[in-house]
Amino acid sequence: MSREYTRFSINQRLQHIFMFVPFIILVITGFPIKFPDSAFWSMVMSAVGGIEMARSIHRFAAAIMIIDFAYHIIYVFHNIFKNRPSLSELYLLPNKRDGQDIVQNLKYFLFLTDERPRFHKFSYIEKFDYWAVFWGMFIMAGSGLVLWFPVQVSTFLPGVVIQIAYVAHSDEALLAFLAIIIWHFYNVHFNPRIWPANKVWFKGTLTEEEMEHEHPLELEEIKAKEGTAK
Amino acid sequence: MPAMIYNRSKILILGFLFLIGIGAQAQQADAENCNLCHGLALLGISGPENSIRSFEVTAESYSHSTHRNVICRDCHTDINQFPHPETVQKVDCSKACHITKPFALTGYSHIEQSEAHLISAHGWNPDYSDEKNEAKPDCKYCHNNEFRNVIEDDALSTSTKHCVRCHEGAGLAGVILHVNSHSGHRTASASIKVVDLCSSCHANESRMNQFDVNLSQVAGFERHFHGKALKKGLDEVANCMDCHRNHLNLPADDPNSSIHANNIQQTCSANGYCHDDATATFAVSAIHSEPTTENNPIVFFTEWGFILLTAGTMALLFAHILLDFGRWGIDAWMRRKKR
Repeated sequence: MSREYTRFSINQRLQHIFMFVPFIILVITGFPIKFPDSAFWSMVMSAVGGIEMARSIHRFAAAIMIIDFAYHIIYVFHNIFKNRPSLSELYLLPNKRDGQDIVQNLKYFLFLTDERPRFHKFSYIEKFDYWAVFWGMFIMAGSGLVLWFPVQVSTFLPGVVIQIAYVAHSDEALLAFLAIIIWHFYNVHFNPRIWPANKVWFKGTLTEEEMEHEHPLELEEIKAKEGTAK
Repeated sequence: MPAMIYNRSKILILGFLFLIGIGAQAQQADAENCNLCHGLALLGISGPENSIRSFEVTAESYSHSTHRNVICRDCHTDINQFPHPETVQKVDCSKACHITKPFALTGYSHIEQSEAHLISAHGWNPDYSDEKNEAKPDCKYCHNNEFRNVIEDDALSTSTKHCVRCHEGAGLAGVILHVNSHSGHRTASASIKVVDLCSSCHANESRMNQFDVNLSQVAGFERHFHGKALKKGLDEVANCMDCHRNHLNLPADDPNSSIHANNIQQTCSANGYCHDDATATFAVSAIHSEPTTENNPIVFFTEWGFILLTAGTMALLFAHILLDFGRWGIDAWMRRKKR
């Protein structure tokens, strides 16, 4: 039996679930209002139970997502203070290697080389996903709260903020939706090397074979550490 | 008021060909038996340019209209003889009829509304030609349409907020009477129909150019939350009339206007029925302007920023996916060929 490598703890997997379940709910309760003339989204809205129901559900799901995100921030800082990692051990931070990996991958795509870039724990693709959500959360939660409490917000911010929030909430929602169903779904589902699904979000582990294929550098490092430990 | 002029020699008595029991249905207020003739289908006269003006009042439409308890001559006051005179006055909605006002015992009339309308943006402007003035909506333009006349059982406005916004001065008794009357008569309609009605002119380019009115107001309203929510059936959000008033709609620079800078805060709050405690800052955040580089550069560039960000990001991600898939596909094809 091949060895399993832990990639995501149960805590991290739950954070992902509490992010994507509200995300789906927010899309199906929000897009019918963004596209009021669309027959498809009107059908979705009827299925949800009409606009008043959709608005209540939207805010409930939003609250869950914001709590999940806040929890994640606390989680990250808690771990940083607890484990005191060096900068190079903060694997999600973009670094010089990502640039080299992008160049290497483009060369590979264009048959200039047969070597795929060798990724560490997080490839630049995964880093992009992570930071896109990070940026998206600030835009969506910030603008969403402005639209939720417009009168209260106007007591300390200029009125144009409400208009910006309206535009930003609607437009960033579309960007996030497209990024998820095209980019994220390709990378974890539709990519023929992955198809039908990368189960790591559920299982939390990768096999040795998967590690060799997707995170060879990390595997190398794990093995090297084990080697020195022995 | 200009009189309607039609040539009596051209009266079409087509109606007599259809002597079928149309008047059979009970006419509550037809005490003078006007429907003996006016109940006939196709009773009418030919007007200018071969237009045909129907004088038919079907039992169905009359007995279901708001005015079904008002006898014909309460409004058509100058019809005192038969056959009727060649020229008749247009109905003046400010005249009192035999219906009495609750608690007042005076004849009921629409004089308040009529006077408000007269000085409103939709009223008679002495600087305009008669033709131009007549192109403006009169009482009947808005009220003589299916949304006030024909009762739709399921179209009753679900929110009484709309009533209170206009009838705020009526006091509790007035509101109860009015709501009661409207729900009993079932003439109130869905809020979105108000937008449809206003849009029938305000989204019409040639009409709006005639009056030099900004055409983008309807489109601007529709892209904002109120417009979208109304379309999706959230009846309680503001329709056109809630902010602009139904009769006394005045341009924003008029100090008496509900949308004047000094009054807009009060309008948004609508006595606490809508955006309770609306601040002045909240009230000035334009609700239906289409942002341009001039009127709202911040929002304009935010919008374009997001369009470019979305298009740019998606183009890059899509290219990456295609290249990745392409490499895999060609590799797979080559492997198969080798075998």
